[in-house]
Amino acid sequence: MHLINLFQWLNDSSFSVWLREGDWPFPIVETVHILGLSLSVGTIMWIDLRLLGLVTKRYRASEVVGQLEPWAIRGFGVMFISGLFLFLAEPMKCYSALSFRLKAIMLVLSGLNVLYFHAKVNPHLVEWEKAAVLPWRPRMVGLVSLVLWFGIIIAGRWTAYL
Amino acid sequence: MNLLDILPTSFFRWWENMPVGHYIRGTTWVFAIVETVHIMALAVLLGTRVVVDLRLMGLGMKRQSTAELSEILGPWFWTSLVTMIVTGVCLFASEAVRLSHSEPFAFKMIFLLLAIAVHVTIHRKVIANGVEGAPLDKVVASLSLLCWFAIALAGRAIPFL
Repeated sequence: MHLINLFQWLNDSSFSVWLREGDWPFPIVETVHILGLSLSVGTIMWIDLRLLGLVTKRYRASEVVGQLEPWAIRGFGVMFISGLFLFLAEPMKCYSALSFRLKAIMLVLSGLNVLYFHAKVNPHLVEWEKAAVLPWRPRMVGLVSLVLWFGIIIAGRWTAYL
Repeated sequence: MNLLDILPTSFFRWWENMPVGHYIRGTTWVFAIVETVHIMALAVLLGTRVVVDLRLMGLGMKRQSTAELSEILGPWFWTSLVTMIVTGVCLFASEAVRLSHSEPFAFKMIFLLLAIAVHVTIHRKVIANGVEGAPLDKVVASLSLLCWFAIALAGRAIPFL
């Protein structure tokens, strides 16, 4: 079976039709999606900018990460679940949309970036932040995350208007 | 409800006939690029609101004071707001007459005025008070978040309604 058959099957399911054709399900889920997005990206960006040394330099990087990460995770959970429903509403549209494919790839990459952060950066952050400028690893993680998340938002915006 | 209730059609025609409106309407990519900048600025603006208003509610960056956070993020807030308004005016000029009939656009403008009014009055005041965990803080933080989110959601609805 090809991926397209799975997407077609999802597209024809009664749940998908209900999400797609009702007046209220889609706008409500999308509202939740945007609120989740604001909460997660609204906190992630300050972590990234701190890692890059561009904002809140008077606070320790580990302190910024520790206090904002729980909110980034909560927001991400809300965004991911609501995003799944938005996808289920129009699987075939998503299948054919280049912007959706790019978004999915960037989402996976940003997940890998978070894993890298927790494996290679976060354990050393308390040690590294004693220096005036953080080493290249945390700065790279911050930059990659920032670029990916803005890319994800813009790709999502394109997908919505197709 | 739409903006034609308070402004004449000629106002919107005038905007649409401005060179910037003509220019954006005549191209495929400029609208998309201007809107991309508009959305990126929105993300930064909401980011500043999320962190400061969470803190005002006693959540998030609790080891810092609200006043200090608000001061540090202030330039980010104002820069993103100005960017949004400048790009927003360009987008508006490109389709002013259509937007004059749009209900979500009217809501968006009302919430924008309300959000700015809340920001420069009670929001600023509760932060300047500097009393940790004052009961009014949570009310003001919720009101502020509500206004800014309403702007984003109404904006999102414009192309659909």
